[in-house]
Amino acid sequence: MARQSGAKSVAIVLATGSYEREAPTTVLRLAEKLLQRGVNVNVWAFEEAVTLTNKDQIDHSEPGALQGILGEKHSHVSKYIDMLLRAGLHGAKLDWVSCILCVQERGVEKHQMNSVTIGTLGDLWKFVRAADRVITIPSYR
Amino acid sequence: MSRYVIVTSRDLYEYASSSSMLELAGALKHRGHEVTLYLIENGVLAARQGAQLAARLSDLSQAGVTVLAEDVSAKARGIEQLAEGVRLSNMDELADLIVDGCDKVIWY
Repeated sequence: MARQSGAKSVAIVLATGSYEREAPTTVLRLAEKLLQRGVNVNVWAFEEAVTLTNKDQIDHSEPGALQGILGEKHSHVSKYIDMLLRAGLHGAKLDWVSCILCVQERGVEKHQMNSVTIGTLGDLWKFVRAADRVITIPSYR
Repeated sequence: MSRYVIVTSRDLYEYASSSSMLELAGALKHRGHEVTLYLIENGVLAARQGAQLAARLSDLSQAGVTVLAEDVSAKARGIEQLAEGVRLSNMDELADLIVDGCDKVIWY
């Protein structure tokens, strides 16, 4: 394996959705740190993870128990995503792409946050090809 | 020689396959690679001092694997004393490892 250092882009593949597990919060916390380091982050959300960016659902903390440790800023997932997407206007960029088949299956295509892109598996392929690091978050089945 | 970061977010007691991740960490180290085992979320449960798997983590540390436990995950679960050889870490260190300290990230 060729030595790589100083990653400039990280692709994260996430399948965990709202009201499930701790993974989305962890991904957002990590993405924030990567963006602070000038690293571009591409999140490919598929399966249940497309519900994270449903702008019409009741906003939720995930898990609520972490709110006491992380504070209010980190308590609500969709606000956190929105904050990181906006942060990209002035520095390293976060792209959040929801899988088109997954949003259609779940009826949330028209409910996605405005700053989220609805994409195809072709976008995932390009993310993976372009990224210096690829992180696939397991969905614990 | 490659540098691996193995991030373990699952409860190692709950999933039978988790044993394979510990074996993988040890085997990679044995073959001369640089290995960091990063425990996060329920992965930190095994790092509690006195836990059954704690000795296994200590063994990996003795073998040269860097074993880290994320601070927020540990605090949320009331873990104050870590197993010997396991060091408390944070999200900044994980980000640094991903950006500059590894060639490959395996997230379990």
